Amino acid sequence: MEVDMDMPDPEELEWMESNGLLPEEEEYAYFDDPEEGFLPAAAVASKPQVAAASPLKPADEVSEANLKRPPPPPPPEQEEERSKRRNVEREDPVDEDWLRYSPPPAVEVVAEKTVSRFASEIQGDSMPVTAPNGERVYAKLATEKLVSEVIEGAGRRASNANHTGLLSESFQSLTMQAEQDALAKALLESTDTQYVEGCPVTPVVTEQLWVEKYAPHSFTELLSDEHTNREVLLWLKQWDSCVFGSHIRATSDDTLSALRQHSCAIQKNSSNRSFFSKIKGGYVTSRDSMPQNESGSNSEDLKNNFNKKPSVDNVPEQKVLLLCGPAGLGKTTLAHVAAKHCGYHVVEINASDDRSASSIEPKILDVVQMNSIMSDSKPKCLVIDEIDGALGDGKGAVEVILKMINAEKNKNSDRSTGTDETPVQKASTRKGHKIAKLLRPIICICNDLYAPALRKLRQVAKVHIFVQPTISRVVNRLKYICKKEGFKTSSIALSALADYTECDIRSCLNTLQFLNKKREALNISGFESQVIGRKDMSKSIFDVWKQVLQKKKPKRAEMADSHVSGDKDIGSLFSLISNRGDYDVTMDGIHENLLRLSYHDPMLQKTVKCLDVLGVSDSLTQYVYRTQHMSIQAYQPSIAITISRMVAQVEKPNIEWPKALQRCRAVLLEKKDTLKTWQNRMSPLISRHLSVESFVEDIASPFLHILSPLSLRPVALNLQSERAKNELVQLVDTMVAYSVTYRNTKFEPQERANGSIVPTDIPSLSLDPPISDIISFKGYQSEHIGLSLAVKQVLVHEVEKQKIMKDSAGKLLNQTSEAVTSEVSTVTCQEAAAVTALDSSKGSSKLKSATVPMQFNSASSLRGKDMSPAKKPSSRPTDFFHSFRKERPAGAKSHNDAAQQGATVQRDLRPLIFKYNEGYTNAVKRPVRVRDLLL
Amino acid sequence: MLWVDKHRPKTLDKVIVHEQVAQNLKKFVAEQDCPHLLFYGPPGSGKKTLIMALIKQMFGAGAEKVKMENKTWKIDTGTRTFDLELAMLSSSHHVEMNPSDAGFQDRYVVQEVIKEMAKSRPIDAKGKRAFKVLVLNEVDKLSREAQHSLRRTMEKYSASCRLILCCNSSSKVTEAVRSRCLNVRVNAPSEDQIVQVLEFIGKKENLQLPFGFAARIAAQSNRNLRRAILFFETCKVQQYPFSPNQVPPPLDWEQYVSEIATDILSEQSPKRLYSVRQKFYELLVNCIPPESILKKLLTELMKKLDADLKHEVCRWAAHYEHKMRLGSKAIFHLEAFVAKFMSIYKEFLVATFG
Repeated sequence: MEVDMDMPDPEELEWMESNGLLPEEEEYAYFDDPEEGFLPAAAVASKPQVAAASPLKPADEVSEANLKRPPPPPPPEQEEERSKRRNVEREDPVDEDWLRYSPPPAVEVVAEKTVSRFASEIQGDSMPVTAPNGERVYAKLATEKLVSEVIEGAGRRASNANHTGLLSESFQSLTMQAEQDALAKALLESTDTQYVEGCPVTPVVTEQLWVEKYAPHSFTELLSDEHTNREVLLWLKQWDSCVFGSHIRATSDDTLSALRQHSCAIQKNSSNRSFFSKIKGGYVTSRDSMPQNESGSNSEDLKNNFNKKPSVDNVPEQKVLLLCGPAGLGKTTLAHVAAKHCGYHVVEINASDDRSASSIEPKILDVVQMNSIMSDSKPKCLVIDEIDGALGDGKGAVEVILKMINAEKNKNSDRSTGTDETPVQKASTRKGHKIAKLLRPIICICNDLYAPALRKLRQVAKVHIFVQPTISRVVNRLKYICKKEGFKTSSIALSALADYTECDIRSCLNTLQFLNKKREALNISGFESQVIGRKDMSKSIFDVWKQVLQKKKPKRAEMADSHVSGDKDIGSLFSLISNRGDYDVTMDGIHENLLRLSYHDPMLQKTVKCLDVLGVSDSLTQYVYRTQHMSIQAYQPSIAITISRMVAQVEKPNIEWPKALQRCRAVLLEKKDTLKTWQNRMSPLISRHLSVESFVEDIASPFLHILSPLSLRPVALNLQSERAKNELVQLVDTMVAYSVTYRNTKFEPQERANGSIVPTDIPSLSLDPPISDIISFKGYQSEHIGLSLAVKQVLVHEVEKQKIMKDSAGKLLNQTSEAVTSEVSTVTCQEAAAVTALDSSKGSSKLKSATVPMQFNSASSLRGKDMSPAKKPSSRPTDFFHSFRKERPAGAKSHNDAAQQGATVQRDLRPLIFKYNEGYTNAVKRPVRVRDLLL
Repeated sequence: MLWVDKHRPKTLDKVIVHEQVAQNLKKFVAEQDCPHLLFYGPPGSGKKTLIMALIKQMFGAGAEKVKMENKTWKIDTGTRTFDLELAMLSSSHHVEMNPSDAGFQDRYVVQEVIKEMAKSRPIDAKGKRAFKVLVLNEVDKLSREAQHSLRRTMEKYSASCRLILCCNSSSKVTEAVRSRCLNVRVNAPSEDQIVQVLEFIGKKENLQLPFGFAARIAAQSNRNLRRAILFFETCKVQQYPFSPNQVPPPLDWEQYVSEIATDILSEQSPKRLYSVRQKFYELLVNCIPPESILKKLLTELMKKLDADLKHEVCRWAAHYEHKMRLGSKAIFHLEAFVAKFMSIYKEFLVATFG
């Protein structure tokens, strides 16, 4: 059983085990609410005149929350009630729990007599009492009667508790005594240092909000889902070895008892849910003892576990707990109660605090790393409430936490071996380090798990989603409170209220208190008209989809007047969708999940209708975007409602995020972008006639066929037959013109999938602008045949060659057009234009003639100018070219013109010849182009 | 270079398909001036070729020296300023651009580019036109606002620049713009004309065409000249001495759509619709325009449809295409059409076969 894991203290367990079957009487002492349990004892221990001050908690328990509601010693009639209840408890302490939940009995009744913050409210003698934290109350000096009653009650209990056991006195009473001593000392100190006169003010309403007044204070009183509670507690307990280190057995007694009690509770939960039936059955002991045994044996396992792992800093894997759920289910309460339960001091940061990253970081560090130096130091537990609240600010906190977690991960990977020093010491030694380490539990609370700010946190945190408690639980608690407050209601009305507020306990209590003030009764029929406002809740988008696509189970009551309930459904759906507001995504999600529902639709009429209205919604959105008439958006929810009425099913739909549409958009943009960049690389003369659409629609498939001719053989260009050569030339030409080439890819997954073993070292070539992707549809076998690797390699080679030639041709072209004299210009210009227009294989020959004057020019000037050979052969002919061009006198051109013409013809006749004199390589002085070498 | 580009007529004289149009355009060139022009017609009919030939005819070879540039426009709307980058082709005489690439900010582009061109007005040298030409592609994709702003600038700067607009469907160009232009309809070439072109290319490339081969390609090309020539070249590459009954390989996406059509006809259920949706996504992701998908799907469905249903199905196809153009999520409407078809078809099947 999981719960047993919570039990931290092996020794305690051992002790319990040795006791074996715990006697009934003692069990009560354990089961009893810790607060209640020690109160009478406290009263006994302290002197009579300060008996009334007993509500002040022992020093280590003091907190503002507790002090605000000091529970006075129970009046006699209550005591009787309790003893009656005690019988009940024996049978079933579990289900009793929440019912019995004993908040301090009505403050305003009793507090007037005994303890108050104002002296004026106390009749008779009183004395001021100040708690260590400065809270001051006035306590009435006890009368004889009260004291005796208290003593009597306590005595009775003490005798019960001491009935059997190893210790002469019960463990609890011993601790209480110690606490009382401490308290008495504190009181003595405070009384002689401080005295403040009572301030006579107008009578202040001491009534608290019921929400606060009846807030659960111990783990067993929690209303929220048992499983979640246990999980949270378990998580917190995992910190024990890290936080408490060696003094692990300091876990307070009440923690243990509560846990134990709880473990019984869970075991029994399944078997006997309703305890009312049990009461009638009477006194059942055998059932009770069974779980005891079981938990005992389980705890042994647990103990072993604990022993195996010594207290190296085995902090839980997920260092942050993220509680999420709708408002009013008790998330914050759970966090506080659980943390307190495990012996932490709760530090809360909520939306009202400054939450920028810079200001929150020291705060978190403070909590997470420092140890309080006070003697009573409890480790702190950080609760960050409403972490999703403000996006900008909330992010600060999230970032800080993430940073810490990540830092820790890195560090952990560095040093995996544990050290002997306790984590606390570590923290102190690490203080110098910049990166903080998480040493204390952090609980984050949010409403919307899918808030963008939480995206990263969600991945590292342990997430718990709150579910609504069952209505009967809520109603029972409400009933109890109403009874306490003397507010008359019926359970039907209460359950209606709980249903209406979706089990939001806070809103239920507030409503009840409000009605109580107004002296109105709760009325089932008039919820809408009554004061209870509907919450303006925005639910997560998944909830919205779920609501739309899932039909609510019709309740029996609603079945009767189905059209009325239908109206109500529509209303709630409408407000749900419009509160969410994000219609675009909402519709996408509906569209995505619509067809996966299993609705009955033989003739597809429903489907047609649904898709039609979705279409309407789409055009509506488009219209709104275009015209900015946002008010028209108000019609969007009704579209969703139409769909809901049409296809909603009772069974739970498996809702998915609409990834397909978004992915489609993203990929589409990406592909378009690829095509556009490719288009830009092409010569503008070709690309101007292309558009993305026309390419994809008309060109892509034939183009791929053209790029992979069947007849091509993997032989070098000069070895092929005339026809094959022509084909190859044309193919290369096409590839260059469209700037397509093959490029190395690591390996193609398809080839591997086929089973043919392709070593990954051998590169495979694929088309560079990935055109083939355009026609690769899922589940479609195209007829395209890829070229063999060898052919591809030949092609790559040829394409590169062609490109170099083209580039150099282009460069020359530019230079010629600059350099040539006006006489030549008209001719060359036309030629140049023709060159670009015609294919370059033909063009290159013409080009040569066009550029020759230039070359000759430089060559001749070289001859004239630079008689002595240059010291170093230049690796870059163009530089040479340039330097001469600059130096050449402007007039030289006209001189040489005539000579050039002749020389051109001459030079064209003979091919380029390199003549190497022995050992004298500097002979090559003419600028030579790569183009010439390639030809 | 592909044959499509290689054998593209460079001048108006060489135009084979739309001879009449070319002759008329030549008259403008002879008169040294021309009005604003709006070319419209289906893809692959030769609009762009005509426009380029016209510009070449007007400005001579200088218009062919174009360079591609990514120009950044500084837009100041009064309330805010932003930069807009757009690729454009320009020569000393004309500018080509695709303003719809700018998305919903296209209207600023249209205004800015025209104003800028007006500023740098070419000097009226002898034999040179005193205006520049601005070629705007895909005008039908311009937003309504852009078209409205175009209307005013067209008039204001008509002294210094001529607009040549090019689009597939003139119905999406506003009335106002249309009335300011000379509309030139470039219809899809007839199959005979396509055969003529193919034979011309065959002669140029020294190919032997078996009888009826060109006609077969023309028939398969859907009266799209670009497609026809590409098919022709594909055939050539795949098997040169053409076999008498050789057919070009089908377009992949069309093949895929016909697969979808088979799917639809074989089963009509929401589940099947869901699988069809995935296939639609595949097509859309690969940049196939949804309108083309719908059109092709309809033709494929028509082939196997009873005559009674044809009329109704066509009507619904038109209905959903209209809806598709109104909205932005094409997949909704494509699916809606398929659902509608399934519903009609199933009803028919039940009524006929029980």
